[in-house]
Amino acid sequence: MSTEAPFTIAIPDNDLEFLRKKLELTRLPDELEEAGHEYGAPLADVQRLAKYWQDEYLPKWREHEARLNDLPQFTRDIEVEGFGTLNIHYVHKKSEVADAIPLLFVHGWPGSFIEVRKILPLLIQASSDHPSFHVVALSLPGYGFSDNPKKKGFAVGQYAEVCNKLMLALGYNEYITQGGDWGSLITRKMAQVYGARIAKGGTPTCPFAPPTQRRSTQPQAALSILSHFILGYTEKEKAGLKRSMLFQEHGIGYFKEQATQPQTLGYSLADSPGRGSDLDIHLLVSKAGPTASTRIYFEITKQNPLAFSTDLATPIPTGYSYFPKEIAVSLTSDENPELGLRIRDDKGGHFAAWEVPDALVGDLRKMFGKGSRAFGVVPGKTGYQQN
Amino acid sequence: MSTEAPFTIAIPDNDLEFLRKKLELTRLPDELEEAGHEYGAPLADVQRLAKYWQDEYLPKWREHEARLNDLPQFTRDIEVEGFGTLNIHYVHKKSEVADAIPLLFVHGWPGSFIEVRKILPLLIQASSDHPSFHVVALSLPGYGFSDNPKKKGFAVGQYAEVCNKLMLALGYNEYITQGGDWGSLITRKMAQVYGGTHSKGWHTNMPIGEAPSLKRPLSILSHFILGYTEKEKAGLKRSMLFQEHGIGYFKEQATQPQTLGYSLADSPVGLLGWIYEKLVNWTDEYPWTEDEVLTWISIYWFSKAGPTASTRIYFEITKQNPLAFSTDLATPIPTGYSYFPKEIAVLPRRWMKTPNLVFESEHDKGGHFAAWEVPDALVGDLRKMFGKGSRAFGVVPGKTGYDRPPASRF
Repeated sequence: MSTEAPFTIAIPDNDLEFLRKKLELTRLPDELEEAGHEYGAPLADVQRLAKYWQDEYLPKWREHEARLNDLPQFTRDIEVEGFGTLNIHYVHKKSEVADAIPLLFVHGWPGSFIEVRKILPLLIQASSDHPSFHVVALSLPGYGFSDNPKKKGFAVGQYAEVCNKLMLALGYNEYITQGGDWGSLITRKMAQVYGARIAKGGTPTCPFAPPTQRRSTQPQAALSILSHFILGYTEKEKAGLKRSMLFQEHGIGYFKEQATQPQTLGYSLADSPGRGSDLDIHLLVSKAGPTASTRIYFEITKQNPLAFSTDLATPIPTGYSYFPKEIAVSLTSDENPELGLRIRDDKGGHFAAWEVPDALVGDLRKMFGKGSRAFGVVPGKTGYQQN
Repeated sequence: MSTEAPFTIAIPDNDLEFLRKKLELTRLPDELEEAGHEYGAPLADVQRLAKYWQDEYLPKWREHEARLNDLPQFTRDIEVEGFGTLNIHYVHKKSEVADAIPLLFVHGWPGSFIEVRKILPLLIQASSDHPSFHVVALSLPGYGFSDNPKKKGFAVGQYAEVCNKLMLALGYNEYITQGGDWGSLITRKMAQVYGGTHSKGWHTNMPIGEAPSLKRPLSILSHFILGYTEKEKAGLKRSMLFQEHGIGYFKEQATQPQTLGYSLADSPVGLLGWIYEKLVNWTDEYPWTEDEVLTWISIYWFSKAGPTASTRIYFEITKQNPLAFSTDLATPIPTGYSYFPKEIAVLPRRWMKTPNLVFESEHDKGGHFAAWEVPDALVGDLRKMFGKGSRAFGVVPGKTGYDRPPASRF
């Protein structure tokens, strides 16, 4: 018997009042003259957002909540080996097209299920010119309105297990996935563990493929290093490399702290809305609390410090979309033998589904549409409207 | 005309009430089962400390404040080139011994001027058997009750400039220094810039060394041939642990201090967790009392510049020199290193070679906050380093700090 229940976000009045009191007691730091963005989120921005939060946004919370509840949401219990039962929250909307392609959308940090909001209507849109999709977008354990694991060691395999079991529970025995940030790693893992049997294709939008990564075949490694030096890089690629280095040198502090001392940082995240105002607001009203959302960094990198640069190959059709303002901008050399689609977009960053929904959906339609290598990966589910 | 004024810590009632309200609204996170210390400061500790803060410590703040005010404190204006005037807060106490050695004690993060409290009475103690010192312990700009710089670029040279000018302003034209954490880097800089003229000798409990490198082929040779003792291996292991597991705070403070700063300014419990983790991880099982922890944290919470300002030193110093902790280590004046087993980085002895290293002392106990954890040991080292018979004896001409035996007084 399924444990699925419809879900409506309904933050208790007490919690709203509590947040109101906290915002009223905000204490802000000073800032250096002409700091710009160099030292972190600028004071003027945070101050403005905090004030707006207190004066406008929070008093109108029920309107914002109602808008969130436009998304059809559900919860159900999912068993995770070694971790017991987790109640998982998700958005689920079917296309009119009966044989639409089942698609699981997986967010990361500091994202959430809300990232599916703009692409959802486009994905389910019926057309005879492009495929449509049945869409599932979960809140990862520890995020949104899902439970968080209570034990140590909930790593990429466990997130993948939850995702796969959810799709099976919804009757989608075969499906495709779309993921960015942690969603990219998780859907990659799904492709490796459940690939071909179940997961039929994936489009991570955070591809990482540095030429010096360790690989199982030496000749491939040698060739890519050779090409690194001989072929050089295009201007676009050089700009991308520069951006990637910028992240490594200047943008990686949060990662290092969350991957080593998430509990220490967590006292601030739980207690101070001021910290949250530069994060996804939904982290603040999450079921597990914001601290839980950071543990993924600890667990995944503890299990594999090279989680982002090793074991990249998957046995199923893979698609990469490259957005210019992604955190790490990958190169055209890639070792995934199943790489079926590679698209370079001109605009967009890390949160592609939110920033450039048309572009992302366009890529998915191309990847899984008629004439492409991944067309029909899910047998019988091609998603075209019959005339 | 000097701008020195006596200073008493007197936190306004409004600020106490504000903190009380905030503590009342504390929201704590959950914790994984059996997390121990692996994920950061344990929830049970932070919860207990937060409750004690709210129920016991804060209501009795005026008592704690009075205890802090046992330390004789002052403020005065110091001009810093390019940064205008900063009002600097400091402790200053002279020994009875007229020719005691002027000593500047420089703290780091998350320390403060309070770290001088235990060593102060020992340092000024008059004796015919060991030297005594006139002691100055400042609050670095951005810490305690000193101003913070308002412009970008206040880096190690500026901190050194403030320290040197303070000593000169106090009439100590020649002096020695003792520093740990950022205090180590700052006093090293002072030794390089003012060494010989004003800074005459410097001692640190956080010495740093250079790993073997191809630039120094002999170091590589010795690395492979001589190997390391068990103690050294344990030290290397501890140093690696810090690099892999303990360095997140540094990385964030060095790149996005403002982002982090919103929590440190706004959440007492956030600040508590952030600092408390270091008080535990960086010490040699020091039995912190609740009052000690909360006093250290309160100095940050009630600091003149706010806690966020204290993190900018990480940004400015590492931006100016990403290799600030491993390059340009040599100084031209007598240098002393004390090695404590639970310091953050514990490196093999022969990596620590530096010109003018006239004093070394290895200990069996103690960590990063030596002056607080093992005050007798630290003072013992200073007395040895600058005492009769040692190479650094008399570095400050005419100031040797020995009390004349009674018979010779008249």
